[in-house]
Amino acid sequence: MLNNIEIVLLFILAISISLVVFSTKLSLQKAYNISLITLSASFVFLLQDLGEIFSTLIQKDIFNSMLIYDSFSLLFILIFLLSSAFLLLISKEYIFDHKYFKVESLIFILFSVWGMILLSMSNDLIVAFIALEIASMSIYVLVGINKHKLKSSEAFFKYLVLGSFMGAFYLLGLTLVFIQSGTTSFIDLAKYISTHEIEQLYLVIVGGLLIMATLMFKISAFPFYAWSLDIYDGAPLPITSLMAGIFKISIFSVILRLFLSDYISLKDLYDPLIILASIFTMLAGSFLAISQDSIKRMLAASSIVHSGYLLIALSSIATIGDSASYSLVFYLIAYFLSSLGSLGVLSMINSKDDVTYESLKGFASTNPFLALMMSIFMLSLAGFPSSIGFLGKFYIFSSAIESSLTPLAILGALTAFISIYYYFKVIASMYFHKNISVLLTYSNIKSYIIIFIISFLVLYLGIGSSYFTYLPGTNDLTEFSKSIINSL
Amino acid sequence: MILSVMIFTPFLAGVFLYLFRAKINFVKASVLLVQVFIASLAIDVYMGFEPSAILQFESNIPWIPFYGINYHIGLDGVSLSLFMMVALIMPLVSIALYDRAFVGLWINSLIVQSGIMGALLAQDLMLFYLFWETMLLPIFFMIGIYGYGKKEFFSMKFTIYTIFGSLAMLISILYLIISFKVQHGFYTFDIVSLKDTILTHQEQIFIFLGFALAFGIKIPIFPFHTWLADTYKSSPTIAIVILSALMSKLGIYAIYRILFGIFASISLELAHLVISLGLASMLYFALLAINSIDLKKIFAYSSASHLSLILVGLFIHNSTSLLGVSLFIASHALSTAAIFIMIAILYNRRESINLDSLGGIVQSAPLFSLFFAFFALSIVGIPFTSGFVSEILIILGSFEYSSIVGFVATTSILASIVFILNVIKKTLFGKKQEDFKDLQSKELLSLIPLALLILALGIFPNTFLSKVKPTVDNYSNSSKAHYAK
Repeated sequence: MLNNIEIVLLFILAISISLVVFSTKLSLQKAYNISLITLSASFVFLLQDLGEIFSTLIQKDIFNSMLIYDSFSLLFILIFLLSSAFLLLISKEYIFDHKYFKVESLIFILFSVWGMILLSMSNDLIVAFIALEIASMSIYVLVGINKHKLKSSEAFFKYLVLGSFMGAFYLLGLTLVFIQSGTTSFIDLAKYISTHEIEQLYLVIVGGLLIMATLMFKISAFPFYAWSLDIYDGAPLPITSLMAGIFKISIFSVILRLFLSDYISLKDLYDPLIILASIFTMLAGSFLAISQDSIKRMLAASSIVHSGYLLIALSSIATIGDSASYSLVFYLIAYFLSSLGSLGVLSMINSKDDVTYESLKGFASTNPFLALMMSIFMLSLAGFPSSIGFLGKFYIFSSAIESSLTPLAILGALTAFISIYYYFKVIASMYFHKNISVLLTYSNIKSYIIIFIISFLVLYLGIGSSYFTYLPGTNDLTEFSKSIINSL
Repeated sequence: MILSVMIFTPFLAGVFLYLFRAKINFVKASVLLVQVFIASLAIDVYMGFEPSAILQFESNIPWIPFYGINYHIGLDGVSLSLFMMVALIMPLVSIALYDRAFVGLWINSLIVQSGIMGALLAQDLMLFYLFWETMLLPIFFMIGIYGYGKKEFFSMKFTIYTIFGSLAMLISILYLIISFKVQHGFYTFDIVSLKDTILTHQEQIFIFLGFALAFGIKIPIFPFHTWLADTYKSSPTIAIVILSALMSKLGIYAIYRILFGIFASISLELAHLVISLGLASMLYFALLAINSIDLKKIFAYSSASHLSLILVGLFIHNSTSLLGVSLFIASHALSTAAIFIMIAILYNRRESINLDSLGGIVQSAPLFSLFFAFFALSIVGIPFTSGFVSEILIILGSFEYSSIVGFVATTSILASIVFILNVIKKTLFGKKQEDFKDLQSKELLSLIPLALLILALGIFPNTFLSKVKPTVDNYSNSSKAHYAK
């Protein structure tokens, strides 16, 4: 008997492969519909697994304990499926309006989602690497699909070269870990680390560092953040959204799993590094974000800052464990909603040039609805109370203080303060000025509805009370984040 | 329940009006209707308010039980005066400025009323922080969209300045609740329970400073006042009235509620520092006001100067001065709201609020001159106005505390007489210029109640003071105990 996730994995894979086979015969419209249905059907299908905490190994006879399906990975899988379906819905007009989107682009999106699903389930260093590369390879291609635009091709090569280069570090690290411990499984590795003295673990430690470097690269943390701005900027908007929002979350899912099982016993060694990375990621991201003119580049730069916040939570995991990890999960949910929404609104603007602060002037008078939605997402990203982004920051800062990293929390508050400037500037541009150039927007009713749903979630999960027991509110989300950590 | 209605009705009405893109006349009428409704509820609450120190009209619903965050609201003697002012002043301002034809301005004024009310009634730190921050947004939009001059810049400056304080407060709140959790094993945001947190002296000072920064910027006290003059100058009148009459008092209220509620001992320990700072900024703002020629700036600084006096009274913290503080919050809110409405009327007719270009109004507009002079003098506190009673109480309290403090406080009140008389002279008297239209019935409709309230509180202060006396005694007993130690 196959369980639900296996069916979903096979289903997406089968659809993707058949799309590849028939790619020449299918119109873009049909391929779009098929991918959308695949993603949303899988989402709905997996919803039935929600509820009880569970943890099962996938096909134990074949894969041993390489793939694990538990409540933790279920949450992430649901996020990937939902957000990629949302992404397709929001950017429908964008996809059809830009001729470089072909059937193949959609296949690559499906493949990348498939890779991410696998990544969040991987329980073994090798599987994690393969899943990571499946997702990354697809995204490399997607970044470069606009082959007539120089910036896009540049981004593609940069990402491909740097990404593969950093991938090699992972492999080296994996080898070192394997040489010493003789295993690549997370569980056995954790056992090995906890039963040996530090003196016997040198290779594991060095290998772990190398693996960490690759993962830090993928989430664009200091000192590996320099690539991200150009690449996020060069990619088409839906792809930026896929990279900055969804892919980053999948990396964090594997980091979290790796850290909570293996890393705990090595915390004293790695913690200072993560703290440093967090400090400089926040500072560098803020510095980059203030100086941008284009909204897309600003959002790309600010996504670096958000990685910094997430690293705060990661560095407090070592001391307080649970409460830091669920604050991290909560923040991931908050971040995915707000970044998906904000980049989604941008992708609904039909403009040849980059949308800048200047060209956004007067947007509220020409398109009050999208301006309002954008403001909500900006407030959430800035961590303004009454949005989910605020609660995310609140949990992260409190977990930092609880693990006696108060200076880090203060620095986080400072960068949040800086972020007020560049996020509020967007709102100010939209509302405070008479329009100078009218920005055209795509008027697809479905995209509007999705944007509205996301903004509703951003607000409702920020203030939603448990008073209405029939509607899951903020508290339920918090408890849910906690329960999935327990399933690890 | 009634308090929840008072908090959320304006907000919901505002959202409703925004979403349905209502016409301006409908918007104005509904805003006024909602505000009058809130005011009548407030009067009802005031009548039912028992003169005792406990929390009344309480409701407590779990919000995020996981972190011990509750939707906990209630009214007591600390918040009573400002509560009444928010409910009463908002409709009066709306009547006075009824010709303003911007839909956004009206809707935002509804939403900000919700925010202030919420922050005022919240008994849970998280809830308080939520309202404290959200009431900033409407002001941000009001200044940025409907303001004057370099409005975009000053709107951003004000917002960023204030949020800086708020983030300092956020860190303090988090530190406090985490310390509480470590000691007691569970999270709570309840202001009363958080009193039991045990902190080292140094931690207390840092947390105190985090809160004080947020409140100090909002009030503002020296040296966090640099946003003040520009913001007032570029704001539309409704925003100025809300900022000066209501939101700045909220800073005072928050010190009263949170700093004295949770950190009573450290507050009293640092009291002499705050009092000296308050006295210094009183004098400083009075001097700034004397040297300004822009009416908005003069009254911005005069308001800041009086707020410093309230702050001094608060930190003196004996029963007399606290009574004075409670009354002064109300009286100052009434006077500043009235005077800024007068300035708006003046600006509408003369297109100038520069002292040098004004003058000669008294000949053609006796009613206007009467009210202007009355409200201006009520700010310095001439007898029969509420300002008089409250200033006397605070000064009596400060002489009880120390004669030097009393002496300096009295002097700076005298300083404010200097510029108020100067303003009256230069605005109203002098050579007659072009004709000045006298007050209309609509304007009188809002100014007469304000004047009557000021007189009523000045002549029969006891009806109000008896309601807050038990609370004040409760607080001052703790300070007595502290000084006895």
